[in-house]
Amino acid sequence: MEILGLWLAGFFTLSLFSFLYKDNPFYGLAEHVFAGLSAGYEVGLVYHSVILQQLVDPISQHWVNAAAGDHPGFHIMKIGFLLFAGALGMLMFTRFFPKASWISRYPLAFVMGNTAGIYLMSELHGRLIPQIAGTFVNLLNPLNLIIFFGVLTTLTYFYFSKEHTGVLGGSARVGIWFIMIAFGAHFGYTVMGRISLLIGQVQFILIDWLKLVKPG
Amino acid sequence: MDFWQRISQLDRRWIYLAVALAVIFPLLVPMKMKLGITPEARQLYETIEALPDSSVVMLTFDYYPSTVAETRPMSIGALHQMFRKNLKVITMTTIPLGGPSIADRTMREMAELYHKIYGVDYVNLGYKANYTAVLLGMGSSIESIYPSDQYGTPLAKLPLMQTVKNYDQISFIFIVADNGIVDNWISIVNAQFSKPMGAGVTAVMAPKFYSYVQAKQMTGLLGGMKGAAEYEMLVNKPAMALIGMDSQSLAHLLIIGFVIAGNVAFFVTRKKKESKG
Repeated sequence: MEILGLWLAGFFTLSLFSFLYKDNPFYGLAEHVFAGLSAGYEVGLVYHSVILQQLVDPISQHWVNAAAGDHPGFHIMKIGFLLFAGALGMLMFTRFFPKASWISRYPLAFVMGNTAGIYLMSELHGRLIPQIAGTFVNLLNPLNLIIFFGVLTTLTYFYFSKEHTGVLGGSARVGIWFIMIAFGAHFGYTVMGRISLLIGQVQFILIDWLKLVKPG
Repeated sequence: MDFWQRISQLDRRWIYLAVALAVIFPLLVPMKMKLGITPEARQLYETIEALPDSSVVMLTFDYYPSTVAETRPMSIGALHQMFRKNLKVITMTTIPLGGPSIADRTMREMAELYHKIYGVDYVNLGYKANYTAVLLGMGSSIESIYPSDQYGTPLAKLPLMQTVKNYDQISFIFIVADNGIVDNWISIVNAQFSKPMGAGVTAVMAPKFYSYVQAKQMTGLLGGMKGAAEYEMLVNKPAMALIGMDSQSLAHLLIIGFVIAGNVAFFVTRKKKESKG
């Protein structure tokens, strides 16, 4: 079974690489198999990890506890919360019926409000403030000076309430240089990332599948 | 048609072939190019080394199978260090596609290597949907988020999880990720629960996360296959990432050559067009 899996993985890897030469039926087959498998796997996983584990199982457990007389009020309340959440989720399916699709906005509104509330605080305390604090550095160190002026000039580039002339314009132009250097760093890392993916698949073909190379 | 015109109109498939050869050749004939270790990788390694024996750490497998070339060697390197130091490891994933199976396979292989017992030395919590709720909820009770582990065993039956109730009992979090989940670990778990953490991320993401190290929100960072190779060197377990770095270096040299040649070809052919016309 493991050997069959290896050969299938090898076949699909080469099928996908064949697109680099030109589009062909092998590439199409691999693409469609991947899309179908991913969708099927995710449906199964979500059914198991969300519907069963986070809704059906807890309701059953609370029901058993309530029936056994162990703080029944508490467990009935928990069941109520879970059923409410489950019902909200079910309302999303009203999107399939044009006349009732407006109902799906209620669970969406709940999710949006919830998410906004959570992220407002976490972004403020977890990212904005610590990142600003990170620019309060000892300016006698030349590297810290680069950080300080990099942040300052980049921020001035994104200040649009005044025309970029004079000192503001000069600062914004320096900011563009910092932004361009950052883009360069991102591009370099992106090249490394993409080449790494290729290396990974070539390693799979040569080491795991064809066993032409011994690791180490 | 002169040389530079030919270069500027080169069929891209020749470039693909050249890159493929640059990647394959060093795998067949290793060149063993030198590799330095960045301070960020060393800091991450030393932070884990400084933990007392039997401390509980969390290792996440927040990546898809498509990026295993960069990320899995980081997980393996981290596990070499953690198991060698007798740390207790709790793993989890926020990635539905592939995350659970990669975590399962990697943990089994590494635990077997170090003779670690499931439930006592390590626990695999598996996947749970809605990562925001998962990250927040584990701050108050891990069991409320994961009533059972990856294999359906209730957490109450696992000896390790009887002492670990929430983040308070976890000494360090090592995130290995190929997506923006690292931001959430920082903004939710580090900021709200003051949990020290480090990360191993794909190269595409790495530049963004250096600012977290600079701001001391993370103790260290591994960036891409290079970061994974550095960690393999630090734990003294050379493996797939180090093997891949020769290919990486050669491919980069080739791409630098292509960028220079492409630009020269562009300017030379443009100048000729201008002089003609």
